[in-house]
Amino acid sequence: MSGRRRDHITRWAEALLGSASVVVALLFLAPLLWTLIGSFRVEEAIFRLDAASLIDPRMWTIENYGDAWRRASLGPALAVSIGQVALIVAGGLLVNSLAAYAFARLQFRGSDALFAAVVMLIILPVEVIAVPMFFTARDLGLTGGLGPALAGLTLPFMAKAFNIYFLRQHFLNLPRQIEEAAVLDGARVWAQYWRIALPSIKPALATVVVLDVLTHWGDFLWPLLIGTREETRTVQIGLANLFTQPPVQWGDILACAVIATLPVLVMFRWLQRYIVATQVHTGIK
Amino acid sequence: MTAWEKQASRRAIWFLLPALGMLAVFVAWPLIRAAWWSVTDADLLATDDAHWIGAENYSDLLRDPRFRHAFLNTALFAILIVPLQTLLAMVLALWVNRPEPAWRWLRTVFFLPVVVSLPVLAVVWTLLYQPEQAGETGLINRLTSVFGFADRAWLRDPSLALPALAAMSIWQGVGLQMMVFLAGLQGVSREQLEAAQLDGASAWQRLVHVVIPSLRNTIAFVVTVTTILAFRLFVQPYLMTRGGPDDRTLSLVQYMYETTFLNLELGRACAAALLFLTWVGFLTWLQRTLFNEEKS
Repeated sequence: MSGRRRDHITRWAEALLGSASVVVALLFLAPLLWTLIGSFRVEEAIFRLDAASLIDPRMWTIENYGDAWRRASLGPALAVSIGQVALIVAGGLLVNSLAAYAFARLQFRGSDALFAAVVMLIILPVEVIAVPMFFTARDLGLTGGLGPALAGLTLPFMAKAFNIYFLRQHFLNLPRQIEEAAVLDGARVWAQYWRIALPSIKPALATVVVLDVLTHWGDFLWPLLIGTREETRTVQIGLANLFTQPPVQWGDILACAVIATLPVLVMFRWLQRYIVATQVHTGIK
Repeated sequence: MTAWEKQASRRAIWFLLPALGMLAVFVAWPLIRAAWWSVTDADLLATDDAHWIGAENYSDLLRDPRFRHAFLNTALFAILIVPLQTLLAMVLALWVNRPEPAWRWLRTVFFLPVVVSLPVLAVVWTLLYQPEQAGETGLINRLTSVFGFADRAWLRDPSLALPALAAMSIWQGVGLQMMVFLAGLQGVSREQLEAAQLDGASAWQRLVHVVIPSLRNTIAFVVTVTTILAFRLFVQPYLMTRGGPDDRTLSLVQYMYETTFLNLELGRACAAALLFLTWVGFLTWLQRTLFNEEKS
């Protein structure tokens, strides 16, 4: 008797959990859905959600996108933002994995002390050094013009203490036998790193890429400091300008918000997959 | 030492040079400069003409009510965010931690705000928080009015502005912490859970006595990371409230930004930055000590 009743209760509980999930999910998504809808609405209808205005075709428009694109010069801004993230990711992957490999496998006198110094930098918030960093970038001529400014946006963030620490951990976990076998084959240090060690930690590399993409796509303070010229503005700064400089057009702002999100949304599945794999081996320990 | 090891340690410098060179130029050197400027009267527009003034910037800061406000606001923000976000992330993780593929979409929903960047969400939420204005009401006031609450100017009300920023920030960040907890849950021992079930432990007892203890490291990690992130608060007040009303949402980083670029007081801003760094270091140390002691 109790078995069947129990099934009954379980089924009810499941249904309840299911519908609660749907409600919570909708609430959670509401801000994003509202943004998407608002970006296609004429200015006076953005805050109107009544049925009459929702079915009225005159209340819908795609002009916001054209206006936002023009007013925030989103073409160049997207190029700068995508270039910025791509350069940080690619450059960072190379220099951090090289250093991590050295700390994991190429022991020398003082290497442990040096590594300890790097680890101490992990908790250093970029905000602490942003201003003097700006002077350093300026002294190196990394502010004027598109090329130097792109370097100014990216070079300071390629080498990252956390990424070195994280990748070293993964290199250390590799079985030494693979590399020792390669030594017998006469492989040199560089080949060890490039052909054997690096391909073996692909998931960890993917994780580093994901974290860097998420962090730097949303960069704000640094581009605000360094990207003062029109041609070196990132998408985020373009959006902030639309938001703060009159005339304030909500439709344009929302369209700009959607455009600023699309590039990361394209990578979404991939980002989500590797973020799960991430933290298990990470700093948790 | 084998031949390979000899070759290896000679090559090490070339492997380390790029990353360490960049860290030296773009991290260590600016940090040294910040430390130097913090004990001078450096002005943003004339950095070469800086004179040693000892600890004056530091004592000025500790007496400056705005700096105190900035610190307390940021601390309050952290106090609001850290426990709530950690708890919510854990609840969400337990909720969606089911094998059926149908639950994967729910994970996706919770994770979605993480990939949308913070500046974008700050702008969007400013509109969501909008009070009634010429017949235009933000989504949040519409929702609360359904439950009979009065229209509120969330971002302009001195007692609501900071909690409003905290609510938005939790919504944005909780998905990431949920993922961390989901990863942590994979490490909970199946045997222990089954043994507890055989012993007749209820779901709640299993949660308290098996699941949460084995999530200890994950919780420590999430709390530490969230605390540091909370103290770095900048984008939300910069875009949503400009630090207002009455400096109620002025954050530490924003104080540093304004002191540098509006007041041009580089020396004092650097002193604030170093105090900020000391504080973050202290919190990290504190959390590490607390969580380690619990273990033994």
